[in-house]
Amino acid sequence: MMDVEDVLNDVVSMDDLKKFENEYHKQLATGTVSQETKFHYAWCLVRSNYPADIRKGLILMEQLIKHEANDDDAKRNYLYYLALGNSRIKEYSTALQFIKAFLHMQPENMQAQNLLNTIQKKMEADAHKGMAVAGGLALGISAIVGIGFALAKSMKK
Amino acid sequence: MDPSVLTTLKILLIGQSGVGKSCLLYRFTDDTFNVDNAVTIGVDFKMRKITVDNNNIKLALWDTAGQERFRTLTPNYYRDGQGAVLVYDVSNRDSFTCLETWINELNMYSTKPNIIKMVVGNKIDQERRVSREEGIAFARRHQTLFIETSAKTKEGVHMAFEELVRKIINTPSLWEKPEDVNVVRCNNENSAPEQSYCSC
Ligand SMILES: Nc1nc2c(ncn2[C@@H]2O[C@H](COP(=O)(O)OP(=O)(O)OP(=O)(O)O)[C@@H](O)[C@H]2O)c(=O)[nH]1
Ligand SMILES: [Mg+2]
Repeated sequence: MMDVEDVLNDVVSMDDLKKFENEYHKQLATGTVSQETKFHYAWCLVRSNYPADIRKGLILMEQLIKHEANDDDAKRNYLYYLALGNSRIKEYSTALQFIKAFLHMQPENMQAQNLLNTIQKKMEADAHKGMAVAGGLALGISAIVGIGFALAKSMKK
Repeated sequence: MDPSVLTTLKILLIGQSGVGKSCLLYRFTDDTFNVDNAVTIGVDFKMRKITVDNNNIKLALWDTAGQERFRTLTPNYYRDGQGAVLVYDVSNRDSFTCLETWINELNMYSTKPNIIKMVVGNKIDQERRVSREEGIAFARRHQTLFIETSAKTKEGVHMAFEELVRKIINTPSLWEKPEDVNVVRCNNENSAPEQSYCSC
């Protein structure tokens, strides 16, 4: 058995990814995709081994979170997966923004604290490897960070 | 991998939302209890080392969400699970009644036919709606281990995981590495065992 050390190593099976991808595209062809179908597909994508899939999943999660901005439960789900997906492509500072926004809504949540710890451990490990996590954020990424900040701000109100 | 560790086991936590799966997990891994614990999003994951009968074992614990909105995706985590903790709440009759559904789902998606199952009646610190005898009868019918716990008072929590792990370790076909099996098979088939080592 593979040695899974943390939740970031949780990889979707190709069968699942294909299955929910098909469902998504079928609905897309009819013109309306349900939030549920979109979420299932996005959930698979952010757990893919391919960074391109993960990025696609993150875009869908952002669409979902904007659409359901008034539903706190839904919002937490999406924030969690935005943090998870960003960590899986090593965008740790962006991931931190999202998980902190989550913990702002619900400070006691142990699952979110667990993910926060995992992200912080990864950041430390990377820092030791000499991979400075500094500057040079790509345009697309800074846009996502922007959302993270905006969310954190709107939650303080 | 750390040579002092015998193996890493994949353990699943399964059952209706609110029965206390996450509270059992965090009691076991961090020795904490949260009165207003929030529902799990998809799945949560924790690692913990445990020593059972002088064997050091790593546990990869997968805590699945019981909530309806995650149901379509959680069964896929059942794959490769070597042990499953099926939880109900002794103060909630409904959670016991629907345990049948959860065990069926596990049997359907599990890829290891001899996966070790343990039925856990949690929240024994609260007023009962399900007797211990009923729990035992259910476990017997489904040929699973059985224990009652309270994540709040800690009662039975460590023992539950320990017993489950002990039973898995006593079932080597569940965790022995395929490479090891190959070496053995190769030696057996070859008439000159000395030479066979390098080719395997
Ligand atoms: N009195 C008592 N309450 C408990 C016990 N275990 C859990 N609880 C309570 O039950 C609530 C739900 O527990 P969780 O562990 O979050 O339930 P869960 O099974 O993980 O639920 P999902 O994540 O939605 O599947 C918690 O907020 C605790 O307050 C227990 O042993 N005794
Ligand atoms: Mg839970």
